[in-house]
Amino acid sequence: MTETPTAFELTFRPNVELISIVRRFVSDFYERMIEDRDTVSRMALATHELLENAVKYASDGVTFLSITFEPGETSSTVSIRLVNRANAEHIAALATIFEEMSRHDDPFAYYQIAMARSAKRKVGSGLGLVRVRAEGEMTMSHTIEDDRVTILAQTTVAARRSA
Amino acid sequence: MSAASDLSVSLRDFSANVRAEGRSLVLCLSGNADMAAKDSLDSLLPRVHGEALRIGAADVQVDFRHLEFMNSSCFKSFVTWISDVADLDPSKQYKIRLVSNAEMHWQRRSLHALRCFAVDLISVES
Repeated sequence: MTETPTAFELTFRPNVELISIVRRFVSDFYERMIEDRDTVSRMALATHELLENAVKYASDGVTFLSITFEPGETSSTVSIRLVNRANAEHIAALATIFEEMSRHDDPFAYYQIAMARSAKRKVGSGLGLVRVRAEGEMTMSHTIEDDRVTILAQTTVAARRSA
Repeated sequence: MSAASDLSVSLRDFSANVRAEGRSLVLCLSGNADMAAKDSLDSLLPRVHGEALRIGAADVQVDFRHLEFMNSSCFKSFVTWISDVADLDPSKQYKIRLVSNAEMHWQRRSLHALRCFAVDLISVES
């Protein structure tokens, strides 16, 4: 695992094709930085889901993506941050999702609840952010500033030092 | 009603096909199941379900080994299918066997989540 902090930022108008390209880039890039393939897979999954979320809800189509990897003595921190503009309806829907997640301490148990609800939905899955939290094993937070939405997904990785 | 040989999807970055093996169906997935695959998968899985009921399948095997990634929208398609099987009268239910690739790390958590959703119906093999 690298002992050097790494980061990249991307501002673009994601579409279906570009999202998978970025996911593959994240996976390829961080496999060279982080030994743990499972962590890299979780990062790729989170990046993909968050970008798809942005494609669906960004009011002007533009998304800012930042991924940082900060090595520490005992653990390292991965942060995935997405910023986009959204309309009031989507901001309210996002707030509801985060409020519901905050009421369930067990991400996997809540994931199962969301899956049961999703099974009968005709439109959308309602699973993207819940999946990032449960399968990505990430802590999730969001902030709203006017119509700018920032979603932050973070996870820690045990540091492995070379002998 | 569809025959197994008619159940296929071929997109630029995603494909799926079904074959019958005795009283089982085998659904093979490959590529990238993202937003571009969502509508096709939403259309395919109910037809697989219908075919499984038509032949009285004992089980349906879903081969994920060549599936690079699956997004939450496509994951939801599987959730709906599993829910439909669970809602059947027990005498008509069939098992769903998910075959995974250990190298595709996302599959471990995603397929585990599907198994927990209907533990009596779903098994995961690698």
